[in-house]
Amino acid sequence: MLKTIVKKELLENIFSYRFPLFALICVILIPLGMFVNNAQYAKRLKDYNEQVRLADEAQSGLKIQDLMAGRVTIKGFRPPSQLSVFAQGLENAFPAYYQFAQDGFSQGESSSGDATLTSTQGKFDFVFLIQMVISLVGLLFASDMISGEKESGTLRAMLSNSLPRDAILVGKIAGGYLALLAPFFVALVMGVLLLLPGGFPIFAGDIPARIAVMAAAAALFILIYYVIGTMVSAMSAKARTSLVAILLIWTGFQLVIPKLSDMAAALIYPVRTDTQVSLEKSLLVNTLETESAKELGRQYDQIFAGTKSGTADDANSPERKKWDPIRDDLQLRTREKKAAQLAAIDETFLAQQRRQRNLAATLSLISPSSAFGRLAADICGTGDLARTKYIEAVRSHQKALDNELFSKVKRTLMMHDNGRTTMMFSAQPVDPKTLPKFVVAPATLGEALKANTSSLLALLFWLIAPFGIAYVRFLKYDVR
Amino acid sequence: MTNPNPILKADDLSKRYEDGVLALDHLNLEVRPGEVYCLLGANGAGKTTTINLFLNFIPPTTGTCYIQGIDVNKDPLEAKKHVAFVSENVMLYGNFTARQNLDFFAKLGGKPNLTKEQYYQVMRRVSLQEKAFEQRVKTYSKGMRQKLGISIAIIKDASGILLDEPTSGLDPKAAEEFQEILAELKGEGKAILMSTHDIFRAKDIGDRVGIMKEGRLVMERTREELQYEDLVKIYIDYMKSEPLTA
Repeated sequence: MLKTIVKKELLENIFSYRFPLFALICVILIPLGMFVNNAQYAKRLKDYNEQVRLADEAQSGLKIQDLMAGRVTIKGFRPPSQLSVFAQGLENAFPAYYQFAQDGFSQGESSSGDATLTSTQGKFDFVFLIQMVISLVGLLFASDMISGEKESGTLRAMLSNSLPRDAILVGKIAGGYLALLAPFFVALVMGVLLLLPGGFPIFAGDIPARIAVMAAAAALFILIYYVIGTMVSAMSAKARTSLVAILLIWTGFQLVIPKLSDMAAALIYPVRTDTQVSLEKSLLVNTLETESAKELGRQYDQIFAGTKSGTADDANSPERKKWDPIRDDLQLRTREKKAAQLAAIDETFLAQQRRQRNLAATLSLISPSSAFGRLAADICGTGDLARTKYIEAVRSHQKALDNELFSKVKRTLMMHDNGRTTMMFSAQPVDPKTLPKFVVAPATLGEALKANTSSLLALLFWLIAPFGIAYVRFLKYDVR
Repeated sequence: MTNPNPILKADDLSKRYEDGVLALDHLNLEVRPGEVYCLLGANGAGKTTTINLFLNFIPPTTGTCYIQGIDVNKDPLEAKKHVAFVSENVMLYGNFTARQNLDFFAKLGGKPNLTKEQYYQVMRRVSLQEKAFEQRVKTYSKGMRQKLGISIAIIKDASGILLDEPTSGLDPKAAEEFQEILAELKGEGKAILMSTHDIFRAKDIGDRVGIMKEGRLVMERTREELQYEDLVKIYIDYMKSEPLTA
């Protein structure tokens, strides 16, 4: 019986005027989006390789004099994610690189320098198409599933038979859903095939698994919207009422809730701007270095007072033997204090950002679209998890460079009581070729899924709750 | 001659809707195998409510509907195995052909293994044109849809048939053809309950005719009794009479 209803629903949808339109949208837009995004990915990859090559060249030509003069900054670039072809996510919002210096790291410009106004409405990628187009089609397909059959009288004809209502509901959902899913999967396969000539490494590493999981998540997302449409249809006596309700729901889920959740999070947990934080760090560095310079100047003046010229340059003089440990100790303490306080500022800033983002993410789970978007972006390595991994890599690289490079140079700035300022340098040899490379370890698929437990739970909720409501309503649905 | 058990039976059946309207008031009727029972009455008299109660589309306020002795309210799925339904406007899936519609409803009616030829035979039996068998139903006239609707009822081969104003809006020829099919089904021993506004057709085909007013069955006559009475006059007299008191 269930099979009969599934088949009927599938065929009815396929024979409807909506189906060829939907199939056409799928087979044109999905492969086209993937093709265009693959070309953009190739461009970003080329840019990245070129930038890394230039940075490596600059690093290998690193001069100790530049280091001593504090003119050396090392750049670490984030490679573009291959799967940004499917979900661009935050790919263009990430800083293209971070700069590493003695005083810590700072972020470079974001990679969205070529952004247009229309691009702020969402990137034309696979996930965007599912979120904005297929979700609407799913709702529309389901909008007259029950109320439409009531109006046409066929529901009465069906229910005049020995047919349980739950079988009708499940059969109708399954059949209609299959009709939606078929063109979607055909389009996805077409899109993937279209990527192959461009050299997309479809079978490399865990890419097939990620694509499969993302396709499954997309299938779940489409089912959710179909079930929500069914719920609305089961709650309406007329197909027109369903249609209006569905458009309102879609607008809320797609456009309003995601934006409102970001705004609400920004209001509840305000976060300082990058510029404010950068200024605070500069001020701190300046203050600490001035304090240190004054103390060093005072100690220097005391130790070398009345000595003949050149004593300070004689490493074996008793004054130098007294001065060196005092200087090293003061510099070490200043460096440690500076590092600790800069890290605290960074940590606080990052924690504030994280808290605001987490709140926005939690609030946005009210919309299944946001939950799916977050999940898909993390699966594709372009979501919040990629940002976390990027920052982790940056902090780890800064530490490595502090040890391997920046600590090799000692700049001793002294401010004397008489107002004179002097600078002394000492440096250990550094081989630029042995310096660590900046590497961003991508999150594994397991990590992506674990980080999206709340998104997955939200999606399951949005599947089960509307189905439950549709089920209860349909059991009591007035078919007259 | 023994009096067989009724296939369709309404026992003290009442229905009061949530808005307080009493649509059906203690209705008792029985339809036996090979019998056509015509329910006459104005709009809102309770005819369609009676059919909706037999089909378990709504629950009764009091009383019981039986189909083949099965309490419809207690075991609707079992009861509905023994009844077929044709509505005033037979609504089918417009994008399906006649055969596809027939196939779908035959399967729902418990006939999963019928052949194409068997579907064609049924459609020929109701005088549907051969060329229409594989045509999409959305191109059908009302008469053709009604014929296909009765085909669905025939193919289910249920012992009881419920018809809700099936000839309403049909041209005389189509209505006549429809009546002939009903006569055949009656001859096969089906118990047919038909609500209608068509007094002449009711007199022609009905073995018994009941007149409903404000939810009550106010008159019932057998075919024999109607030979000596003017059904039209009886009907109009009842319709003109004072409203019933509760």
